[in-house]
Amino acid sequence: MDRLDAVSSLKYFVPELVLVLTLIGVLLCDLISKNRAPMERRLLIVLPSLFGLLVALFFSVSIYFSASGPDPSDAQALFSNMVAFDGFGSLLRILFIFTAIIILLFTIESRELRSVHHGELLVLLLTVTVALIWMANSINLLMIYLALETVSVASYIMVGYLKTDRLSNEASLKYILFGAVSTGTMLFGLSLLYGLTGSLDLYEIRAALMSEQVVASSGPALMVIIVLVLAGIGFKTATVPFHFWCPDVYTGAPTPVTAFLSVGPKVAGFAVLVRFFYGGMASSTGEQTWTMVGSVDWQTILMGISIITMTLGNIAALLQTNLKRLFAYSSIAHAGYIMMGAVALSDRGIKAMLAYVVVYLFMNLGAFLVIIVVHNNTGSFDIKDYAGIWRRSPMLTIVMGIFLFSLMGIPPFAGFLAKWYVFAAVIQAGLVWLAVIGVLNSAIGAFYYVKILKTMFMEGSDTAEPSSKLELHPLYAVLLFVLVVPNIVGLLLWGYLDRVTEYSHKLLDVM
Amino acid sequence: MGLQRPALEAKISNLLSIPVVAGAAGALVVFALLPQIAELIREQLSANLSPTMAKLAATAIGVGAVVFLITQLPIFLIWWERKIAAHIQDRLGPMRVGWHGVLQSFADGMKLLFKEDIIADGADRFLFKLAPFLVVMGVFSAFAVLPWADGLVISDLNIGVLYVIAITSFGAIGILMAGWASNNKYALYGGMRSAAQMVSYEIPTAIIILSVVVQVGSLNLQDIIAAQQGGFGDFQNWFIFRAWGLNVIGFVSFFICGLAETNRNPFDIPEAESELVAGYHTEYSGMRFALFFLAEYGAMFFVAGVAVVLFLGGWSGPVFSGPLVFFLKILAIVFVQMWIRWTLPRLRVDQMMALCWKYLIPIAFVVLMGAAVLQVSGG
Amino acid sequence: MEDLAPKIIFWVFAALMLGSALIVVAGKNLVRSAFALLATFFSVAAFYVMLGADFLAGAQVLVYVGGILTLILFGVMLTNRIYSLELNTPRFQVVPGALVSAAIFMILVTVVRVTPWKQASIVEEGPTTARIGQALMNQYVLPFEVASVLLLIALLGAAMLVRRRTDL
Repeated sequence: MDRLDAVSSLKYFVPELVLVLTLIGVLLCDLISKNRAPMERRLLIVLPSLFGLLVALFFSVSIYFSASGPDPSDAQALFSNMVAFDGFGSLLRILFIFTAIIILLFTIESRELRSVHHGELLVLLLTVTVALIWMANSINLLMIYLALETVSVASYIMVGYLKTDRLSNEASLKYILFGAVSTGTMLFGLSLLYGLTGSLDLYEIRAALMSEQVVASSGPALMVIIVLVLAGIGFKTATVPFHFWCPDVYTGAPTPVTAFLSVGPKVAGFAVLVRFFYGGMASSTGEQTWTMVGSVDWQTILMGISIITMTLGNIAALLQTNLKRLFAYSSIAHAGYIMMGAVALSDRGIKAMLAYVVVYLFMNLGAFLVIIVVHNNTGSFDIKDYAGIWRRSPMLTIVMGIFLFSLMGIPPFAGFLAKWYVFAAVIQAGLVWLAVIGVLNSAIGAFYYVKILKTMFMEGSDTAEPSSKLELHPLYAVLLFVLVVPNIVGLLLWGYLDRVTEYSHKLLDVM
Repeated sequence: MGLQRPALEAKISNLLSIPVVAGAAGALVVFALLPQIAELIREQLSANLSPTMAKLAATAIGVGAVVFLITQLPIFLIWWERKIAAHIQDRLGPMRVGWHGVLQSFADGMKLLFKEDIIADGADRFLFKLAPFLVVMGVFSAFAVLPWADGLVISDLNIGVLYVIAITSFGAIGILMAGWASNNKYALYGGMRSAAQMVSYEIPTAIIILSVVVQVGSLNLQDIIAAQQGGFGDFQNWFIFRAWGLNVIGFVSFFICGLAETNRNPFDIPEAESELVAGYHTEYSGMRFALFFLAEYGAMFFVAGVAVVLFLGGWSGPVFSGPLVFFLKILAIVFVQMWIRWTLPRLRVDQMMALCWKYLIPIAFVVLMGAAVLQVSGG
Repeated sequence: MEDLAPKIIFWVFAALMLGSALIVVAGKNLVRSAFALLATFFSVAAFYVMLGADFLAGAQVLVYVGGILTLILFGVMLTNRIYSLELNTPRFQVVPGALVSAAIFMILVTVVRVTPWKQASIVEEGPTTARIGQALMNQYVLPFEVASVLLLIALLGAAMLVRRRTDL
């Protein structure tokens, strides 16, 4: 592995460069199209964004599937050890760009965003996308902080994008306050870590932590550092006890933005978790497992967080009547499942996290798309307004059912695969009881998912409301199809998913 | 013209003017000989004291000299400004107190000293008292890096220019403080306007300064002057004559920003007398008011000084070099500042902001980019 | 005496910094708190000077005093009853807050005392500007650019917030 300087790093950095250029270009397009008709103007900003994202997607896919495949010897540390170039990050890059494309298409016909101008929203979306990639690839404390802050700032604005909507404003303000505190806390932890090890580079930090003198007496300091850093990561991943913002923000934000928040920053937060703990605080044993470095048992801490997060998320979700709020808690619960992969301390665990993320992306975005479609027609997010949807649009109900079953983890659908990966990794690591807790939680989760389905199918048949057909925009129909297919064929995709995530556990390792 | 001055009074005031004019002439001589005087003092100090103490004493003397200069200078500047104003408006200006009114400022100063020190009812007394000192501190501290001659500077900071930009921001805070603590809406408006203005114009100022720094490769003011020495008549290398006119744009922009930063007309909206009584110092009287006055003239002089250092060779050239040349160049710029004050009408708030954000900042960026491109392509 | 002077300066600024910070946090009058920040920021700059980081000290004063503090004051003055001198901040839950702060303080003090902190080698004195510039353009060029994207987006957000609804 090499340490590349800025100029020689550029060729590994093409997707990011494309995205940055696109965001500047879209900003300019937005400016010069100021006096045109709304429709024309929208096209002028949507098309370049889409084009830029597709180009970036093309480059990232070709990077990931290039002939040799990123194996450890291909891994690079770019820009003088600022970001890593490896299998893990390359897969996440594809995921983020893909998510951004889906969300971009979400925004086009959303009723909530119909009255506002899209220019800045797309610029923000592009910024968050590129910052998420930086976040997932950072191997330097400074870069981690900067990328995280960029994601945060852009997300705050996206959440508050509906300036005339009180809920949106409230959500944005809550998000800012919570975000400022947790990033500040994390920054304090990082500064302590710098004081302890004298380096911002995660791999140098690991080397410093391995020295005997540090191991002997750094216990309390390292404990404080880990707790403080987890505050920042926990905020992004929405894990307990840093999840408080999640329900309010998810409810208040425009639904496409909510969908984005439930995937993008959450996944990037887990990527930072993996980079930070597996890069800076663990070393590979060479047999697909990892051992912790330093004197703090962070595996137990993560395990505790994982258990509390999924349990609390699932139980709180049971009580919700607003669908967006319910999905906020559901996404908290899923964060708990994803974190189980990080607890496993093995290559398989990392791979399980990414496999989970790939599947989660499809099922969660799909569910949110159904919410958007229903909201476009009924203007409501209340579960009770979903009564009788079955009669108004059977197709949509079936599709939603598939997404929900997938989220539950019921076998024929892809969600089962995701859960299987994670539970298998945990069991293999000898933590059978953790897997049992996970399964129990999935059972609790099934309750509220089924509750939604029940409302859609059974109820509402006695209401006097004329059962008008739900309108489904062709664009959304296509999107639904794209999102639902991987969920249906689930088990058939097993081998493919395995291949896709094959390199994902290949973390850059500098010793 | 009915009033005739009593002959005795005229005689006395004319007689009293003699020491003042002589003092001014003496000051110019002192300026001319400043390097020699400084050298003498330095020799004496190093002969009698340990090196650290000598350095400390030299700094103390330097600070004393500069403070003396800034506190005395307004006496002249105010008289000069009133004369300029009068002549521009086809009047004579102060003529009664002393020969051509040279004693006018002394009389006014005396009046200010003896005035009652009023603190308005309901004012925040502590902040009210603190504010003038903060304003004065911002101006006085900035003089620490202004170089008067080769080696003749109180503190030869490596980050000189950055220090200048940074320390002057205390003035903005002080003005905000004065405006708020007065518990008077005119004062508050004045303070807010002033702070908004200073913060906005700080941006183009800093960028223009940066364009010179790019050409020098140093933040040190002495280095900036050294880079302008030599050439034909000792002024060919001044930055204003270099970079194919780019620096002329820079100089003019800097001058405009300087006017705004010191709240001078046409940017005197913070104290616009027709709208805000007297702006942030409406409630101040006596000595505290004098401090604001002092700070304003000190700031004028200082901004002119920085402009001279950045674009007009500082203490070097034309033909002659030294503190006196520097002083005269600064006075020339100050003259233009006054000239503009009595010629141009005041801008509206939005016009002033538009000038800054829509014109000066883009221009400043163009100048900076141009300077950078020239620098890269030239070397 | 020459050894004593730096120590005295250090303690004076340390006291100034902590004292003014305490006013910022605990002060009742919001505007006074904001003005107290001036002393805090300035003392931090003084610490940078004492550590030989001249450029950082200048930047600290420029950015924090010249920019951020002015903005904070603007924010405080424009968002509250503007003529009122009584801009008071109510205090909530003083006792639990104090207890938590004290607990965190104790933990941090313990950590600071027992931890073998990395001792930095004595850095060479002298101007730091050029070195900072080189570091920014070589080793830290990516964070530098990322920061510019961050600032761009912050600007965009600010512009969006202040824009009138009719301009949408």
